[in-house]
Amino acid sequence: MKRRQGWLFFIIFLLTLSVYLLINYPLQLGLDLQGGSQLTLQIIKEEGKVARDELEAVNSVIDKRVNNLGVSESNLQTLGVDQLILELPGEQNPLVASRVLGKTALLEFRTQKEGTSTDLKTLQIQRLSIKELIEQYAFAEKNPNDDNFLNIIQDNLNDIEQDLNYSSTSNDLYGKLIEIKKYVNKEITNLFIKTNLSGKDLINAGRRQEQTNSNWEVLLTFSNSGGEKFAEITKSIAGTNQLLAIILDGESISEASVGNQFASTGITGGSATISGNFSAENARELEVQLKGGSLPLPIEIVETNTIGALLGSKNILKSLYAAISGLIFVGIFMIFNYRILGFVSVLSLILYGFFNLAIYSLIPVTLTLPGISGLILSIGMAVDANILIFERIREELYDGNTLTRSIDSGFQRANSSIVDGHITTLLSCFVLFLLGTNFVKGFAATLGIGVLISLFTSLNCSKTILRFFTTYQSLRQKNLYLPRNNFSN
Amino acid sequence: MKYNLELIKNKGKIIGFSTVLILLSLFGILYSTFNTSYKKPINLGMDFVGGNELRIERLCKEECSNFSPDSVLENLRENSKNKNLLNNIKLQSQNNNKLISIRTPYLSIEESNNLITNLDNIIGPLNYESKDSRLIGPKLGKRLLTNCVTSLLVSLFAISLYITIRFDKKYALFALLALFHDLLIVFGIFSWLGIILSVEVNSLFAVSLLTIAGYSVNDTVVIFDRIRENLKSKKEGYNETIQLSVNESFRRTTFTSITTLIPLLSIILFGSYSLFWFSLALSLGIIVGSYSSILLAPSLLLKD
Repeated sequence: MKRRQGWLFFIIFLLTLSVYLLINYPLQLGLDLQGGSQLTLQIIKEEGKVARDELEAVNSVIDKRVNNLGVSESNLQTLGVDQLILELPGEQNPLVASRVLGKTALLEFRTQKEGTSTDLKTLQIQRLSIKELIEQYAFAEKNPNDDNFLNIIQDNLNDIEQDLNYSSTSNDLYGKLIEIKKYVNKEITNLFIKTNLSGKDLINAGRRQEQTNSNWEVLLTFSNSGGEKFAEITKSIAGTNQLLAIILDGESISEASVGNQFASTGITGGSATISGNFSAENARELEVQLKGGSLPLPIEIVETNTIGALLGSKNILKSLYAAISGLIFVGIFMIFNYRILGFVSVLSLILYGFFNLAIYSLIPVTLTLPGISGLILSIGMAVDANILIFERIREELYDGNTLTRSIDSGFQRANSSIVDGHITTLLSCFVLFLLGTNFVKGFAATLGIGVLISLFTSLNCSKTILRFFTTYQSLRQKNLYLPRNNFSN
Repeated sequence: MKYNLELIKNKGKIIGFSTVLILLSLFGILYSTFNTSYKKPINLGMDFVGGNELRIERLCKEECSNFSPDSVLENLRENSKNKNLLNNIKLQSQNNNKLISIRTPYLSIEESNNLITNLDNIIGPLNYESKDSRLIGPKLGKRLLTNCVTSLLVSLFAISLYITIRFDKKYALFALLALFHDLLIVFGIFSWLGIILSVEVNSLFAVSLLTIAGYSVNDTVVIFDRIRENLKSKKEGYNETIQLSVNESFRRTTFTSITTLIPLLSIILFGSYSLFWFSLALSLGIIVGSYSSILLAPSLLLKD
């Protein structure tokens, strides 16, 4: 009896601890419960597997970009060997994030090949006309009634394609325009030769509005060695008709000449500006990408989930209803069939709920919808063990044994089959946790934790509470343990 | 209260019933593979094939106005830059025209945003706080599918291994037969649901199959344990002892199934829509699992 009292205090201590934990370390809610966006980024590697350090390098670049974007409370983690998961809580549009994160942002500085001036001129003119077409298209979209307008754009585009000797493969007009623009930018890049200066030589990037018009420009600050390289390069082409191109991901975004006055020293001071007719948004995106550095391997956004905040809170409410009604009906069922024993199992279930939640806040487990369903499902499995024990106790009582003996042997004899029976469920959880996706892991974690805790609550807690009850003479009548009408034999 | 299931007498009926269920399931799976538009044993959902799914509510003052899905789609197509992508679009409304759900092939985030803006222009205003949007690339879908199939195979292997170690050969064989019987029937039911109601299965379906596997074996283990225990202290014949053991554990098995079904029913009734089919699959699995543990597996053990 002494030992059982020790257990009782231990259980009360655990309960207090759980409540304390839950108050001080609130549960972490997944995005499906609080609203927000989740992006899955897949690292693309043509040959071989993505190495550990490559994954970390990509992770660190993405992390820097996310931080520079000023997204609050974002969470970035790696998934498996070649995926990253980015969570943006609240009503933050994943569009900007996707645009900034998806680009490799490999910045290069190139000098023009000699004797390509006329080729460059032609390409630049074509780029300008495509830009105009894109603007016209945006205008035409706002006034959808005028089909004629779109036809004119299409005709102009066909002319440009003929000049370039290139035919686009996109299905729609807008896609074609963008495709041709890319093609021209790449053609321009081909007219330039690589130098030893790249995005790695940057220490900072910024943006400001141009003084002459409303366009934005991006400011680059080089490291010491980068500044020297830049001075050397500009010196080599100063006063010639060769241009310096700034190239991002293989597309030339700006070409500029270097004036004769820099012929002796090159452009010193360790900084440069890119003025490529940026909008405020584009300038900011480029700034963030350059600050974070270029990605060692390209990535692709393979999954995006967005859940509105209102839907999230509805999901919480619905899950609460489901959990509480499940608990109540299971409780009614147990008390109806097992009387005092049923009441004991309800108390153990409540303890079970508290311990579970406390463990979630301790590990911490992020609660998601599948996670909650795992928890609710494990309510059923937690009483499973109780039922096994209570059935044994009933049998012993029917056989005419005393209450104390029946309880003892009930717990003893049911022990092994309870542990055995849960092993298969734990096996499934383990496999799911190892191989499952993020979504599935939540379910496996809560169900697995639930099964483990239920072993403690349904074996130990139930026994302790039951022992405590039976210390009261008035609670020791057999008919409180068996429905009366069945207690005839 | 004593139960008296006449297992010995009804062995033929039980095995016959299970055979019919299995044949029906197999027929559904084959029909779905060869005769439906998706040509798969089961209607694979967005998780596995990729795509874009959007659910959003309209902000309506009192009642939401009627609209024809076809004309909305026509409008959406006209306003879309990428006409081809919208060839395969499906639009449905629920809750008295309030809730709109749209399915399309995979779109980029930008294209999906445009789609929502266009929708807002046509039947808006929309309540962005109620948005539920999922975009899954086809590459990821394939990967998820392999992932799910691997998880299933690995854990079935692990469970089989456990049972073979834990039981004699004969018991292990029949416990596994019961397990595959349960999984096949649940799979078959969802094949049929796919054929008749175009219900799709997603990664949560694979999870439910795995959970059913763990649960079904658990039930069978308890009953087989009882049989072994009673056979050791044999008073009656072999077949009679099996029947007695089943009747002795009948209450326990049905009760635990009921207490597991109650929370699942709560999820079906009150929980989020995304858990509906998942909970249904689990419930079906538990019902079929209890049947096979109580009636089928022990019947297979009976000697003629």
